[in-house]
Amino acid sequence: MANRWGYPDLGFGIGLRSVHFEHILKNNPTIDWFEVLSENYMDTGGRPLHVLDQVAERYPVVLHGVSLSVGSTDPVNFDYLKKLKNLAKRVNARWVSDHLCWCGVTGLNTHDLLPMPYTTEALRHTVERVRIIQDFIERPIALENASTYLEFAASTWPESEFLATIAEEADCGILLDVNNVYVSSFNHGFDPQEYINRIPRDRVVQMHLAGHTNKGTHILDTHSDYVIDTVWKLYRYAHRRLGGVATLLEWDANIPEFDVVHGEALKARTFREQEDRSAQAPELNEVPAYGD
Amino acid sequence: MATDPGLERVQRWMQTCILNQGTAEEAITSEPAQAAVPADQARELVLPSKTLAPLERLDIYREMYLLRMEEALATDYPALKHFLGDDEFMRLVARFVGVYPSRSYTLNRLGDHLPEFVATLDDLPKQEFCHDLARLEFALTMVFDEAETAPLSPEAVRAVPQEAWETARLKPIAAFRLLEFNYPVSQYLGGVDEENPYPRLARKKTWVVAYRRNFQVHRLDLSAPAYALLQALSSANTVGDAIIGVLTSKWRPAVKQSQLFEWFRDWMAEGLFQAVELADATKTPPPPEQPENEVDEAGEESFPASDPPAWNTTVAHDHK
Repeated sequence: MANRWGYPDLGFGIGLRSVHFEHILKNNPTIDWFEVLSENYMDTGGRPLHVLDQVAERYPVVLHGVSLSVGSTDPVNFDYLKKLKNLAKRVNARWVSDHLCWCGVTGLNTHDLLPMPYTTEALRHTVERVRIIQDFIERPIALENASTYLEFAASTWPESEFLATIAEEADCGILLDVNNVYVSSFNHGFDPQEYINRIPRDRVVQMHLAGHTNKGTHILDTHSDYVIDTVWKLYRYAHRRLGGVATLLEWDANIPEFDVVHGEALKARTFREQEDRSAQAPELNEVPAYGD
Repeated sequence: MATDPGLERVQRWMQTCILNQGTAEEAITSEPAQAAVPADQARELVLPSKTLAPLERLDIYREMYLLRMEEALATDYPALKHFLGDDEFMRLVARFVGVYPSRSYTLNRLGDHLPEFVATLDDLPKQEFCHDLARLEFALTMVFDEAETAPLSPEAVRAVPQEAWETARLKPIAAFRLLEFNYPVSQYLGGVDEENPYPRLARKKTWVVAYRRNFQVHRLDLSAPAYALLQALSSANTVGDAIIGVLTSKWRPAVKQSQLFEWFRDWMAEGLFQAVELADATKTPPPPEQPENEVDEAGEESFPASDPPAWNTTVAHDHK
């Protein structure tokens, strides 16, 4: 337990997706834990919630949201927070996470994880909102670094420092998405290892892994494929640097059978074990930097 | 020092550009975008990458927005998309989100206004058919997400004294929608979902009940009198009045009392009702003491044909 809240290393999980509902309920697969997209279960009394209740009885569950919109200049949505809090209680969520981003303003939601300008004003604003959110839901949240496709000229902070400082000042956790570090490093031309070096170890409660789509000029975070080798190397580096934390494989488009997704998640265990056995520190040049 | 309009203006600017369906240049020079950040300043707002210019980077978000909206609406309206085809459906999505952008934290509710929006589009191919189809698919999404309410058990039905049925009222489950159409849209949906034969898309009155049973969404095609009876029953009429309404209507020659009973029994078995309220009580009477429920081969409780509600008496009385 390297993080300050004592959140456990749950092991290697996958995202709970409706295409796998039947398989999970029928076969009770051996898997460490599931991550659940919060918004998919807040406003339904139908099958998804019925399935989630059963899954939560059998497995540890973590809530992961996409609409918290912590960086938005709109007022905090307490109706949303109330539902999030209730859902977390209902499924005994081990923790709750969302993204360092904003989703919309003026009452609208683009349903995207939009990039923040990394300014001191944005930092202060986000810290204040995270505090409000945590006070309301009565638990710390973990913020994930989102994949981004543009940078604002006004930014005065590197993203990793911006995230780390918010985590320190708002006293929240970090969900380090290793694939997103790689995607953004490709899109913006920064060193992914330097990024990870700036992440405070005691704030990290979880890591994400996923596949992506390389468009040549940029990479899209599509969660539609296997994790590429470079991201696995970066994961090993992150593990050595940050310690063993709960790891989650995301696969949200062209989703294959449960065993394929789970098998991809279990590769993380293999890489972690290899890293733990390795006496040598990883070669920094093992992780290709920008554009490789 | 790089340009910094401040967080609130940057976010308003970026959202406006994402929602704008013109080119990126048209977006940043649009009036709403310039109200947040003037175009000259906006050109300096985003850094270029090694491979993309600032507006090309903005375009990534703009393009993904419409694709995401299309994906969400196609999930809820697969048959409408099937009918219109990919290009026409995408045009519909673009027009729709231009008028009804998402205001919710969930995309599940994005399509709530699509049926009424389709009704306003005179240039849509077979607009009236599309409207009916959208209404059906919207009803199915509502049924999918409704709160779970336990249906009446066979024991609860049996516990109703025979003489009490005439003045009893039935309460439908929450996941229940009764619909009337001008086109055979349920049959069309069956063609899309189950590869059944497609109907002729000519005007034809059709009636459907959409409901959920064991967390699965179902729909049942109804005849006109069955629809009338179910509508009356689900609208807080007494059972007696609902039956008399059908038996004294234009369908009288075609509908026998035995047919009414079969419908009633089928609907009970499908779990369409959650409670029966008696005239001298306000809730479902407790079921009689029975050692075990009857269970059929599928493991589901069954409604025996041997103890129908006693509405012969009801029909004999002409309340009209």
